[in-house]
Amino acid sequence: MKSAPYPLIELDLAAPFDQHRATVLPEWIDWNGHMNVGFYVVAFDKATDTLANQFGCSWEYTREKIGMTFVIEAHVTYDREVKEGDPLRITSQILDHDAKRLHYIHCMYHGTEGYLAATNELMLMNIDYETRRSAPWPDWAMERLEKMAAAHKKLPVPAQAGRLIGIKRKK
Amino acid sequence: MLDSLPYELPELVTRAPLDTHRSTVLPEWVDWNGHMNVAFYVTAFDQASGAFMRNMGLGRRYVDGKLGMTFVLETHVTYDREMREGAPMRFTTQLLARDAKKVHLFHEMFHGEQGYLAATNETIVMNIDYATRRSAPWPAPVAVRLDELWQTHKDLPKPAKAGRVMGLSKK
Repeated sequence: MKSAPYPLIELDLAAPFDQHRATVLPEWIDWNGHMNVGFYVVAFDKATDTLANQFGCSWEYTREKIGMTFVIEAHVTYDREVKEGDPLRITSQILDHDAKRLHYIHCMYHGTEGYLAATNELMLMNIDYETRRSAPWPDWAMERLEKMAAAHKKLPVPAQAGRLIGIKRKK
Repeated sequence: MLDSLPYELPELVTRAPLDTHRSTVLPEWVDWNGHMNVAFYVTAFDQASGAFMRNMGLGRRYVDGKLGMTFVLETHVTYDREMREGAPMRFTTQLLARDAKKVHLFHEMFHGEQGYLAATNETIVMNIDYATRRSAPWPAPVAVRLDELWQTHKDLPKPAKAGRVMGLSKK
């Protein structure tokens, strides 16, 4: 499919992509009095929707029964607590992509205090709606992904990307 | 360090791997793609970590008694297969490592009836002092239990999906 059967929004080539904003909802708080680990990922997944909307693979993509995007792997670092009502700012940086996949990292900051609260490195795969199997990105998406990737290429790779989980042994 | 806990601890399960936690995919965990959303895999795994902590003598009474909490520092999920609303889940948990304040866990989520692997989760959980909200050594009885569990888990093979670094493999 050459062009999307719905209008695409204006492409934002800021590096990193910096449009997504949210607020910590009361139902995201757990018995420890802070945002629960699962809801960090809810917040990050909504930032993925905002990012995917840039390349025309968000809600309309599924509503029009063209395709879907599935996360196949995710890595979260929980760097600092956020509480109910806190404003969140989430940036997104494209690290790599191929014909079917997108590798990127979100950074979540406290919206007013500015500290890093968490990061989420993800591998997203394009899925054909009919078969529910992996498929190449549509042309319109690939064209935009390449522009965004080129704009993000100059950014340093965040220290939280490419991490291996483990307990460091003291020498 | 707390020398004791002011409540009765449950009988310790030392099976390798642990295989007690069960759950069901709730309707509110399903997204517009018609399957369990990425974030709620993390919620489901967090509940499996909760089951692990209860076996160690922690859990709700530990928090309600204002003794301490456990915080997830980092988590890595592989999404291996879709799960639909109402699907039964079976979890296994392997202790990969532990130190004075942290545990390194590996969970696997299986479809409860069909048996397939749906997802894996590698995670680091840290003990937190209730008053300071900072890291603290495990309470003494918990450290003893971790040592006992380690004796049965240390010889398990390292899971293939543990210790992953995310990236696109170039063909």
